[in-house]
Amino acid sequence: MSKSKSKEIIKEFEPELLVFCCNWCSYAGADLAGVSRFQYPPNIRIIRVMCSGRVDPSFVLKALKDGADGVLISGCHIGDCHYISGNEYTRDRFDRLHSIIIQQLGIDPKRVRLEWVSASEGKRFAEVITEFTNEIKELGPLKLQ
Amino acid sequence: MEGSVLVIGGGIAGIQTSLDLTELGFKVYLVEKTPSIGGRMAQLDKTFPTNDCSLCILAPKMVEVGRNPNIELMTYHEVLEIAGEAGNFTVKILKKPRYVDESKCKGCGDCASKCPKIEVPRLFDMNLGKRKSIYIPFPQAVPPVYVIDPELCLKITKGVCGVCQKVCKADAIDYEQKPIEFEIKVGAIVVATGFDMYGEELSKRWGYQYENVVNALEYERILCASGPYEGHVLRPSDKEEPRNIAFIQCAGSRDRQEDVPYCSSVCCMYTAKEAIITKEHSENSECYVFRHDLRAYGKNFYEYTQRAQDEYGVTYFQTKISKIIEDSKTNDLVIHYENLQTGKIETFKANLVVLASPLVPKKDSKELAKILGIELDKYGFFKEQSYYNKSKASKKGIFLSGFAQGPMDIPETVAGSSGVASEIATLLSSEKFSNTEEKIIETPEKEVKPSDEPRIGVLICHCGINIGKYVDVPKVVEKINKLPNVTHCEDNMYSCSSDSQERIKEMIKEYNLNRFIVASCTPRTHEPLFQETCEEAGLNKYLFEMVNIRDQCSWVHMKEKEAATQKAEDLIRMAVSKARLLKPQNEENLKIEPSALVIGGGISGMTAALNIANQGFEVHLVEKEEELGGILNNLYELFPNEDKASDFLVENIEKVENHKKIKTYLHSKIKDIKGYIGNYNISLSTLDNDKLELKVGTIIVATGAQELKPEGNFLYSDENPKIMTQLELEQKLTKDGDKWLKDIKRITTILCVNSRQKEGITYCSNICCSVALKNIRILKEMKPNLEMIVLYRDLQMAKKEFEDFYRERRQDAMFIRYSLNNLPSIEKKNNNYHINVINTNLQQELEFDTDLIILTTPLIPEDNMDELAKMLKVPLDGTGFFLEAHVKLRPLDFATDGIFLCGCAQWPKNIQDSISQANGAAGRASRFLSAGEITTSGLISEVNEALCIGCGKCEEVCPYQAVELREIEKTFEDITISIKKSYVNSALCKGCGTCGATCPVGAISVKHYDFDQIGVMIDSYLLEKTQAE
Repeated sequence: MSKSKSKEIIKEFEPELLVFCCNWCSYAGADLAGVSRFQYPPNIRIIRVMCSGRVDPSFVLKALKDGADGVLISGCHIGDCHYISGNEYTRDRFDRLHSIIIQQLGIDPKRVRLEWVSASEGKRFAEVITEFTNEIKELGPLKLQ
Repeated sequence: MEGSVLVIGGGIAGIQTSLDLTELGFKVYLVEKTPSIGGRMAQLDKTFPTNDCSLCILAPKMVEVGRNPNIELMTYHEVLEIAGEAGNFTVKILKKPRYVDESKCKGCGDCASKCPKIEVPRLFDMNLGKRKSIYIPFPQAVPPVYVIDPELCLKITKGVCGVCQKVCKADAIDYEQKPIEFEIKVGAIVVATGFDMYGEELSKRWGYQYENVVNALEYERILCASGPYEGHVLRPSDKEEPRNIAFIQCAGSRDRQEDVPYCSSVCCMYTAKEAIITKEHSENSECYVFRHDLRAYGKNFYEYTQRAQDEYGVTYFQTKISKIIEDSKTNDLVIHYENLQTGKIETFKANLVVLASPLVPKKDSKELAKILGIELDKYGFFKEQSYYNKSKASKKGIFLSGFAQGPMDIPETVAGSSGVASEIATLLSSEKFSNTEEKIIETPEKEVKPSDEPRIGVLICHCGINIGKYVDVPKVVEKINKLPNVTHCEDNMYSCSSDSQERIKEMIKEYNLNRFIVASCTPRTHEPLFQETCEEAGLNKYLFEMVNIRDQCSWVHMKEKEAATQKAEDLIRMAVSKARLLKPQNEENLKIEPSALVIGGGISGMTAALNIANQGFEVHLVEKEEELGGILNNLYELFPNEDKASDFLVENIEKVENHKKIKTYLHSKIKDIKGYIGNYNISLSTLDNDKLELKVGTIIVATGAQELKPEGNFLYSDENPKIMTQLELEQKLTKDGDKWLKDIKRITTILCVNSRQKEGITYCSNICCSVALKNIRILKEMKPNLEMIVLYRDLQMAKKEFEDFYRERRQDAMFIRYSLNNLPSIEKKNNNYHINVINTNLQQELEFDTDLIILTTPLIPEDNMDELAKMLKVPLDGTGFFLEAHVKLRPLDFATDGIFLCGCAQWPKNIQDSISQANGAAGRASRFLSAGEITTSGLISEVNEALCIGCGKCEEVCPYQAVELREIEKTFEDITISIKKSYVNSALCKGCGTCGATCPVGAISVKHYDFDQIGVMIDSYLLEKTQAE
């Protein structure tokens, strides 16, 4: 009993990461990573939305407030959007979110990330998640002031 | 007559034809020779000129085919015999043994992972990758069913092994399967068999025999992230990154020695694409394109090839290749070629060579033609009944879709496929919906009120061992069962099997559930199945939620059972929290007015009108001029058939005028358009009525284009009547015949006047080269001793018979290539003109006199199209032509449902393509008319009026014009004011939710993905976990 407890104490920091995927490209890319059995760290939880354009900045803030160590938004590459131009709004909104809110809150901008992943980029999805997880591990747990 | 259709070939042509046919009311048997649909497009990495991921845009269509109740998908089947005639064919079909029972296989892949490692090249990867003896052609295959290669399988060849049968938890392996023959009855047949690409068929000088010389399809697989090298640009011999990559154009096409006299049509464009993608994938690579003519004639095509050079640094050489030889030490390639700009013989060393080798008819085309009793053309493609209608084969009732008829790109294939579907709809119009089935759910829907306590049922799937081996399913069941509002949770082996559907219904009844969750594989393929099951149990389908614990959990955390188990639990708990807030949603049925408005009475508009009218719907055809015919009124003869334009036109106008269902309004103008799909109110001003009101269900834009008059350019003006445009020449030929040619000895035709420029009109207008060559033939026939000179930049003669036509014209005229940097100059002399031009092929300056100059100018959009676009609420592109919904897969649709597009209004095109597009647009439009109503999705945005501040941000961002601000009146005591509130049109909304994320006050949200529902998922993941512990 005490042994397992001490084990727990030295256990590596495991970040809790939230990922928003659009249904048509990134969610399909995540599926392809699975079909291809590309392994990545188990720290993410995916919330599916129809379009990355649905991701309200308030979702990101809520997640950070609730204790997420990082949030990733992923959609179709620019030009590939199933809804024509939804991801362009995501991009613009994300830029604003990054430059204003994150900096005002003093949160490292690396914790909130935007990535375009297509349905055929299973490998890339796994790589992005691996990289993101490692980056957040290095940053350590998010402590909000 | 039969209300069903056989479609042969499951590539994009067959897929599009099948989907459109079912919507027009026909049952489809889709026969595909290989184990999956998808065809060539599934093999492509990206598509030009938008660099869209090919599979991303194709896969949703494949899935749609797979679950369409009116498409009987017959993969790994072949057509053996046909009998009968149009309307009543009997077809004998062979079902080849897969040795895997389709009804049982779940596509989990346990069999392949255990199958002994004896591997053969994977055909889908153009033999660059490997597969085992039990395999799936590619991960996104439809159907997702495995197949055994009987020549490789140890059990079938030697009677040993049998391991796949042992590991298959679904009991799907059946080594005893035998070929089965059976018959079906259909009213029409579509041939959509696609193409092959030359490799070893090429003569040795192209070097395909060397390891580091690949053809372009092989290179697509190399570039593809899910290809054999995972998207790394590597060369086959040593898997090293090549530095110099040479792309060889016309590697066998336009080449009579290779017996491919035609142009393969798409190579210039995909080469530019492959070079761009290469530069994106590997920064250190250098791309060199060895080109002949640069044929980039579609929308944004020419600009794309310029971008490849200017932005991506791809180098283009104008060359003639003599041979490619391997350096046996380094496996590099030495290309021997003539530099056409210097006339010198040079060599170039490349690490990898990509051949744009010929795209040729499918190997078994001859055999299939024999079975079907239809003809092939001289190139081996299926022969069309007439040049003007490429969709019909030589026998009535048999139709041609896509590359099987001749070289074409994807949008042309898609447009043609929609055209084929609508031609079949006219042939079999009496049989619409006679053979189709509509699933009617008999169980009445149980009322679920927001105040009802949620009673959630959860089913967690083991997927054989695919989930169960890596996730501790019983432990997760235990945890989930403890969550508030979870009435019952259990696990099972395969949630997708038919007995599981029965179990789900039982659970809903037994526990009186009002929400249901399945945690298994991906909702992208399985959500509709479970939703249907819920509906059968009386549960609104929006009360269902799916959790992906296989593709996004067990399969990607195979070595971390504890963490995977935790993740699965979290994901399901998040879904449970969302499920508590799920609301039943309504899908509304909207009636469609069974009539169409066609704007524009040229050949496109007339064809579209006739097609819709022949399907039995009312058509209103509006033309702004005094007569029908559009640009055809000014033509003399038609390319390439020497038919008189006036004969062709009269024939078509008669058909339109004599059709009872078509009302033609000449000299008329659209004044206003209101409404949305199914219910448009059109206001017209006609000759005798200033305000005629029409009600239509759908609109087709066929407004055509006009020839540019190059005022001031090349001395073109009223003062120089012997300098004229192509259209003016044709008008003169129509009016004056050949008499005026008496005094003319030499005629010079200048191509690319005002087109393909750096600024101004940057595009290639597609049809001008063929128009110019057509007129050379006519003039030469009228006066055989005429001297003809053609000043050109690149000749765009890309269709199957065009190259031969061009080759013949080289006997009639002298062709001199000039460049954009050195335009020809014209000087006026007494009775004629003096031309000075630099021939870029020999870098020599030429001077000569000429009696007549014909300027070949581009087609430009019709005037005042922005006005019409505004009324229709559809966009124009940067060049002023109408912008389609998607350049690849929706060439005839606008993003706004209900409005369609064809002919030169979309892009300059010839008569053949205009007719094909017009039929296609008619088909797209009549899908709605045939159904009589449309069902709106429940997954749409909704406005909370109390919160809405009427700022209009949502209206701005909506790509579908589904959101608008409406004035509403509010009364406060005795004051009434009018304020603006946002309104969502459920017929147009697609549920992307961009409006919701844009709204500054959170007043607009997508149903099923609303703020609270996503909010509780976030809370559940991050806050409830610690509570649970």
